[in-house]
Amino acid sequence: MSEERIEIASVSDGGVSEDELDQLMAQLGSIANRLDPVPAAVREAARAAFAWCTVDAELAALTFDSWADDRALVGVRGGGARQLTFEAEKVIVEIQLSGGPTASLVGQIVPAGAGSVEVRHEGGSTTVDVDALGRFTAGRLPGGPLSLRCSGGGTAVPVETEWVAV
Amino acid sequence: MRSVGAAAAADPAEPIVVDVRAAAGGDRDAWDRLVARFTGLVWAVARSHRLSDADAADVSQTTWLRLAEHLHRLREPERVGGWLATTARHESLRTLRGSTRLVPVDDDFDAIVGEQWPDVDRRLLDEERDVALWEAFGTLAQPCQRLLHTLMADPAPSYADVSAALDMPVGSIGPRRARCLQRLRTMTQGTAACPQDERMMAG
Repeated sequence: MSEERIEIASVSDGGVSEDELDQLMAQLGSIANRLDPVPAAVREAARAAFAWCTVDAELAALTFDSWADDRALVGVRGGGARQLTFEAEKVIVEIQLSGGPTASLVGQIVPAGAGSVEVRHEGGSTTVDVDALGRFTAGRLPGGPLSLRCSGGGTAVPVETEWVAV
Repeated sequence: MRSVGAAAAADPAEPIVVDVRAAAGGDRDAWDRLVARFTGLVWAVARSHRLSDADAADVSQTTWLRLAEHLHRLREPERVGGWLATTARHESLRTLRGSTRLVPVDDDFDAIVGEQWPDVDRRLLDEERDVALWEAFGTLAQPCQRLLHTLMADPAPSYADVSAALDMPVGSIGPRRARCLQRLRTMTQGTAACPQDERMMAG
């Protein structure tokens, strides 16, 4: 943020009191409340997120996102597939997302092993098979947040990826 | 009128810790209280990045889903507001960088100053002085807009949460807020946007 100093003395006769600034802030808050309240659907979705609160799985954190990594941005952005990497202590999940409104993904779990992946999204979830090499695919994904829950294969306990908006 | 000033930021943290722990243990009412307390902040953070309705909704939902999966892993449950604000900021930046309509890669958000706040209907402002103030707000430098926008969240966020939302030291928020409001007042002064007697009555 740039340091922009205001010459208070030139603002008005004797400057502006804290009270006046508080009133101005209150007026802004009141305007924002009328123009842009939190939509009811957004509030409801926040409440509904509680249903995804599980404690039986290991969490795989998002460690790479080709959308967000500055080094990857140059020359890559725009239309290309998006690559995401999630890492738990002993498991790595890599996925590649492509397509727009009807997105699809291909992914691989390391260490490899047959099992299943539950693709979780706003509308519910779909489960797909993981082959012996740890590979899986899923299609017709809705937009919005998405998370994978990986079971079987090379993982002792289920692994859930962090949610990410796609 | 609700209070948006610094005084409202002094909510004791303890009930929040209790709610975080209860929600992690499966208490839906506690989760709903967390949503009621912080959903305005999460929304304001997304909006302060000038995200559209759809993108802001995605950022909000992703942020709350992240909390749901991290709830029982939070090391500092008393800072859950800051955790949500930080997550919402990261997700907002991710959305901006990923979108094709895009801002420059180097985060030069000043480049889009002057762009209208998305998806809002100004006809909801019926008072002349509100219109004048809102138009002036739209011409502030982007860092000022983002700070004030975050502070407009309902319920009012603590300075600690605002600090997380903006990745800015907590001690600098008060002075920066004052400078941004001073500037805003300078811009609206003389436009009869806020006559003295009306101000007195509003207090």
